[in-house]
Amino acid sequence: MLSTKFTKMTKEEVDRKWWEIGDFFRRNSLWMLMYCTGCCAIELPPAMTSAYDMERLGMGPMATPRQADVLLVTGYLSLKTLRRLIYTYEQMSEPKYVVGFGSCTINGGIYHDSHAVINQLDQYVPVDVYVAGCMPNTEAVMNGFVDLMDLIKSKKANGWKDYHKRYEWYLENQKAALGEVRVHDEFHE
Amino acid sequence: MTNSMNNVDYISNLVESNFKLIEKEIVNKNQVSYIIDKESVHSLLTFLKTNGWIQLSYLSAIDWPKENKFELVYIVFNWEMPVYIQVRAMLDRNNPVMPSILPIFPGCKYYERETHEFFGIKFPGNPDHEKQLILEEWDEIPPLRKDFDPRAYSDKKFAKREYTEDFVNLNGQESKQIIRKQRKTKIMNVRKGGKK
Amino acid sequence: MITGILFGIGVAFFGFVLQTSIAGVNRKVVARVQKRYGPKWYQEFLDIFKLLSKRSVTHGWVFDFGVIMALGGIIGTAMFMPITQNLIAFPEYDNFFIFVYLIAVGMLGMAMSASGSGNPLASIGVMRALTTMLAYEVPFMIVVLTIIKLTGTSSLSEIAAFQQLAGNNWFFIALPLGGIVGLMSLMGMVGKKPFETHIAPAEIASGPMVEYGGKQLGMLFIMHEITVFIEVSLFVHLFLGGADNIIFFVIKYFAVYTTINIISSVYGRFKIDQVVLFFYKWPITMAIVQAFIAIYLGWVI
Repeated sequence: MLSTKFTKMTKEEVDRKWWEIGDFFRRNSLWMLMYCTGCCAIELPPAMTSAYDMERLGMGPMATPRQADVLLVTGYLSLKTLRRLIYTYEQMSEPKYVVGFGSCTINGGIYHDSHAVINQLDQYVPVDVYVAGCMPNTEAVMNGFVDLMDLIKSKKANGWKDYHKRYEWYLENQKAALGEVRVHDEFHE
Repeated sequence: MTNSMNNVDYISNLVESNFKLIEKEIVNKNQVSYIIDKESVHSLLTFLKTNGWIQLSYLSAIDWPKENKFELVYIVFNWEMPVYIQVRAMLDRNNPVMPSILPIFPGCKYYERETHEFFGIKFPGNPDHEKQLILEEWDEIPPLRKDFDPRAYSDKKFAKREYTEDFVNLNGQESKQIIRKQRKTKIMNVRKGGKK
Repeated sequence: MITGILFGIGVAFFGFVLQTSIAGVNRKVVARVQKRYGPKWYQEFLDIFKLLSKRSVTHGWVFDFGVIMALGGIIGTAMFMPITQNLIAFPEYDNFFIFVYLIAVGMLGMAMSASGSGNPLASIGVMRALTTMLAYEVPFMIVVLTIIKLTGTSSLSEIAAFQQLAGNNWFFIALPLGGIVGLMSLMGMVGKKPFETHIAPAEIASGPMVEYGGKQLGMLFIMHEITVFIEVSLFVHLFLGGADNIIFFVIKYFAVYTTINIISSVYGRFKIDQVVLFFYKWPITMAIVQAFIAIYLGWVI
């Protein structure tokens, strides 16, 4: 005769179980929003087409920020682009992840002394995975995506929670670089 | 006119008989450059427009800090006769003001805004010339002036990633940097006549 | 009555599972056409459940209500769909015109919700979807009215039974021109490649779905799968003689959906005026010729 002991799960445990089930779906179906700011974007076509075939990992390109899960920042960000990147990032529905491509997003790369290009992306939006290189290989790009999936599995891809928690800090950095985040001029009315 | 050198001769005769040029240069068979007084830029551009140079291809400036001048460059193009004409005028660097050419070429509106943004040249006559276009919320001197230091601005404005000096040796190998440094000191010692 | 409703919801659920699985298999088929490996066959399920597990924003109650109306309307339409001769939720009510009218409820809900989002691209997408609808409905209706004239009934299961009684003489073979018109209209209905002007991801950022994310988009995906189930099943019943066995139904369904997918995988996208011109030129001519041949000359093979 079977004797099973039912211990009632606490609310946190139930939440964690549901979250793990959600994480399984989320990491197997990552939809990308490609914010092609720089030259690293040229690594994405071979990653998507028949050479490496990103779709077998369940990844695919999406048209709008609302539908997407992953924001790919491929290359350097000028101040003007950074402002639009922040608009785009804040439009995405949660949970959301950011992948930074190339050395430009890590430390400025070859644009480290330009007056118009920011140096560190993770000061302004939370970044989950960096893919280093100038430009990164397509293998490195695919490896970065697999790393992101592992991070989601081990519950370490928490950039979007961090953005909620330390929003003041991010906003301060954004204001230091951009002046005012929401710009009001004739092109925004 | 099929021969393009004739085009250059034609335009040279046309302009030189009517205007007093400070300097002229034939860049190649499709491009001529004139330096002219700041006051006669408008009349020269009007003259060129009536003669077929109907398109304003570009308008920008060059900074000459030693001479304390800005050089304003207007490039116009003729679709019947393939010659670009650069009209250059020198401005005072301390008080850079140039009346707008909006009545002649309405397309200069955004070029003048851009030039104002990057060099600080004022264009009275263009109602929008002081609005921001490319640089949003800029808080320094215009960035394409030669006395602007982009590296200092970047260091001041943007956070830099700081790296520590220590590194990890793979498989217990000696660092290649240290080996290279040792070899260099050895060579320098030999060169100075020291012992090996 | 209660059992009928439960049975109908079961039909809708069966349609969702069937279409989602077959769509996943078809993603692999298209991938093989393009020399890729392709995703897992259950990738579509993963996508939908992932979307349902995300947080989402709202743009007002019209936006949310429209999504629910679209999903409910489409489930209500799918409840009337006969699967085989005996598997019908409401045996007297499987009339062709019921589907034509009820499917509009779901479409209107989606249009309302998309307009409620306030995005101009969504309005463009809705306008394009309605224009495409106007284009493919006319030739499709002519062919279906021809079939109704020949069989003397507009009930789907009776049309299917007519084809089986006449010695498996499917209308796709008996009315070859009409069958081709039906296939082309089906591609327009399902929104496959040459006629997917209302989605157009690179052009108007996926059209009506531009502002959806998270749960609303997941519900719209479920709605889309059930819509495709209704449209492809209509084709199976009208032109391929239905099925007296659920296995035959699945085989015919799979064949039709894979065919239109393979055709669409080698096409680019038409502009909206090209879609309308195309449908008003060749399919409408073929449909009228077919109707004339079938009804006045009586040359039904």
